[in-house]
Amino acid sequence: MGYSLSVSQADTVLHELQRDYRIYAPKRFPKQGRYSDTDIIRYAEVNSFADIVWDIKSDYPAKEVITPIQQAIFYFTEDEYRASKVKSKPILLLARPCDINAQRIQARIYAGNGGYDDLYYSRIRELVKFAVMDCNGGDDTCFCVSMGSNRTDDYALALKFSEDGVLVQVVDEDLVSYFEGMPQVDYTHTFVEENELKVTVPDLSDKNVRKALKTHPVWQEYNSRCISCGACTVACSTCTCFTTRDVIYGDNPEVGERRRVTASCQIAGFDQMAGQKEFRSTAAERMRYKVLHKFHDYKARFGQEHMCVGCGRCTRRCPELISISATVNKVSAAVDEIRAALNR
Amino acid sequence: MNQDINIKKVRLNCYRQSKVPGEFMLQMRVPGGTVDAKYLSYVEYIAKTWGDGNFHFGTRQTFDITGISYENIPAVNEYLETYIKEVDAQLCNVDMDTVAHEPHPWDPKEGYPTIGARNITACIGNYHCICGNCNTFELARKIEPIIFPSHYHIKINIAGCPNDCNKAHLCDFGIIGVARMTYHPERCIACGACVRACQHGATRVLSANPAIGKVEKDPCCCVGCGECVRVCPTSAWTRQETKFYRVILGGRTGRQTPRTGKMFLNWATEDVILGVLKNWQKFSAWVMDYKPEYLHGGHLIDRAGYKKFKEIILDGVKLNPECLVAEDIFWHETEYRSNFNVKPLSMHHTAGPKG
Amino acid sequence: MMNPVQPQACTILSVKKESLHEWTFRVTSDAKPAHGQFMQLSIPMIGEAPISVSAQGDGWLEFTIRSVGKVTDVIFQKEAGDTLFLRGPYGKGWPVEQFRDKHLVVITGGTGLAPVRSMLNMLAETPGYVRSVHLISGFKNADGIVFHKELEEWKQKFTTIYALDHDTMEGWRTGLVTTFVSEIPFDAFRGEYVVVVVGPPPMMKFTGLALMDQGVEPEKVYMSFERKMSCAIGKCGHCRIDEVYVCLDGPVFPYTVARDLID
Repeated sequence: MGYSLSVSQADTVLHELQRDYRIYAPKRFPKQGRYSDTDIIRYAEVNSFADIVWDIKSDYPAKEVITPIQQAIFYFTEDEYRASKVKSKPILLLARPCDINAQRIQARIYAGNGGYDDLYYSRIRELVKFAVMDCNGGDDTCFCVSMGSNRTDDYALALKFSEDGVLVQVVDEDLVSYFEGMPQVDYTHTFVEENELKVTVPDLSDKNVRKALKTHPVWQEYNSRCISCGACTVACSTCTCFTTRDVIYGDNPEVGERRRVTASCQIAGFDQMAGQKEFRSTAAERMRYKVLHKFHDYKARFGQEHMCVGCGRCTRRCPELISISATVNKVSAAVDEIRAALNR
Repeated sequence: MNQDINIKKVRLNCYRQSKVPGEFMLQMRVPGGTVDAKYLSYVEYIAKTWGDGNFHFGTRQTFDITGISYENIPAVNEYLETYIKEVDAQLCNVDMDTVAHEPHPWDPKEGYPTIGARNITACIGNYHCICGNCNTFELARKIEPIIFPSHYHIKINIAGCPNDCNKAHLCDFGIIGVARMTYHPERCIACGACVRACQHGATRVLSANPAIGKVEKDPCCCVGCGECVRVCPTSAWTRQETKFYRVILGGRTGRQTPRTGKMFLNWATEDVILGVLKNWQKFSAWVMDYKPEYLHGGHLIDRAGYKKFKEIILDGVKLNPECLVAEDIFWHETEYRSNFNVKPLSMHHTAGPKG
Repeated sequence: MMNPVQPQACTILSVKKESLHEWTFRVTSDAKPAHGQFMQLSIPMIGEAPISVSAQGDGWLEFTIRSVGKVTDVIFQKEAGDTLFLRGPYGKGWPVEQFRDKHLVVITGGTGLAPVRSMLNMLAETPGYVRSVHLISGFKNADGIVFHKELEEWKQKFTTIYALDHDTMEGWRTGLVTTFVSEIPFDAFRGEYVVVVVGPPPMMKFTGLALMDQGVEPEKVYMSFERKMSCAIGKCGHCRIDEVYVCLDGPVFPYTVARDLID
């Protein structure tokens, strides 16, 4: 079913949907950017059509809705850890294909790895239906087509926005009733087939090549360029790493909560055990660890596809202007060099 | 060269005397140090037509053109009409037919009417700079019609952030763009980047509290630089939408008693800054008994005393709730000769209406 | 929905001081970990950490903890009767079944002895499970020696070399464990042997190299890793090395895998 909604009709449908769904979408937070008089676009619950930022990519990914930067996982007293609870109202999550594909990638870790299904991921993930947002290829940091994450079929609604309203394709029949009486049109969603930016992922299947790459000088420039702030991994659509942290309430050390907080392999201390030195103590080593995870290690473990969806948010958020696509291309050149040397 | 030239009159017209008798240097106002680049062709034209072909960046961000002969001043002034009208009258909304807010018809062919209120300088601010907390030249353009034209002297420097590249600490009325921050604990991953940045580049007001996994702040000593926002990887620190300013008062260079300015206002909004500056003419007039003389603004505060200054300058200004005002100010001057201020009573300056 | 990170309360039965810095806690638990597995131990307010099971019995487990880090600092204030929280066991332990009828060589550095202690106790109590046990156990100095009682008992049942890195002490030899690898009669084992190595990362690395120098087959060597972990169930990412998660795929790895893991 397809519909063409004006802004006011879109608001009507949105309010109808809000009876049964919490609606999350990219929203503008004016003047909350890193630099003065710049905005931040991140995911939040929206209450009107005008709240939805559809024309540019959000700074932070959709994953924040499902795995917030921080959440209480237990409340503890002297003799008990009691799991936290979440709202049971379903979520309609407006996201571009990169963000939707990222959830499939995250699910292999959160809901599959080692046969363990993480309660805190799955209990929210199963509440979520996606509404895919039309994307015209994003900005000059996007390379979803190179990563094969430009298409998705995991959506209940497909939305094509304009200043005047929105074209909607309703895929999930449960949602048809919310559009009752709205003007129907033929609308079938299409996906972007080309980005301005193209990335060639190096072939790292040869163990000897990988071994040589780990000590290759290609990583050295990041020792002076990367400040290990972790902004890239926080902005990443697929990064899952977290730390648990116990906090106490007031002055009673016996009562408090155990929180799950986003962690970053780029920030010093990520792999540090108490009383020992770090395994990866330089920015170059941390960069190597991240890049190889996104462009080899994840796929080596789970098969099928690379971890990176090419959303380009890490590049957009990097305060030192390090581009992931440029980095991958440099790695590709290094791999060619290594392979030539190994074949000699 | 034997010419009878009233150099004081020429100076009021913004031409500075040269060591070469009969030659002058034009100083063109550039409020906030930023104008459309097309005006560089005006500078080039004046320099090549009437000057010696050279151009100098004025220390107060004026376009300075040297080697202009006295007899060419009328021609230069006539040429300046467009520039003054476009930059001061139109861009900054200056009422050119006033002096110190009193009616005083301006002849557009006569060049600049006063030199007292100096060009407002500014760093590039948040228009470009990653550290800037405010748009410095837009603020300068709002201040320009308040202080110009006027024979009362004031030097205003605007710095976009407490880094103070533009030296708000070394002028009569220095304005520093500061930010008040909002902490979003739910976005904080306790990475410590802000704590380190504040320690390294600001006033060490942030500390990690492991018991709550959060960052704590000693708000009293925050300089409002926004470094915490800049380094935060998660946007857990953000600037509040309202722009705030710090005013550093009474700084100066000079041959007698140079000194760094001291904080007069903290966390003042733009309305407060503009309101205070609207009282500047009134204060200056009171100190000098309504007879402008060529005297630096900071000296006027010395003569009146800070408390009198405060009384007049805050008159009718509605302070925003966050705004803090110095109860007193104790400047620390460099005394080139010791006990510089100790002298016969007859040599003392006075302030306020005579008789 | 099951919550795989739910900690269970358990009671401390006893606290034993092993050395200056290492204490052993015996706690109630019905868990039946395999030798070499670990549990997530947590103390409210302080947090959670992976700790290897150093001994086990009917209804109890033992954990030997070194006094470093947040968890361990507070745990030293605990005493019998107090509550701790456990979840687990996690990971892959020693492939003990494959050790049957082999000559077993165990090389440990410092508290690396803890992850093999329960296995050594089992072997001490089960004569004939393996053909022989050669144990090389090194410690930095006399203050760091743990499991004194067992070390004495094992002397009777196994072929042992106990060493201090630099100090001299009666009945103990002086030198890094790597220097004693050449004393293991690998030739006499006729290929029927397995080697187990546990200790700090540099010790394991150099012991691996020393074993290779002796002509030991890499397929017959196992090592146990220790890495930072928050979840122990393959979610938090801290312990990942390449495509391997130490919590799921380890902590025990064949040397053929371990030698190529670069953090």
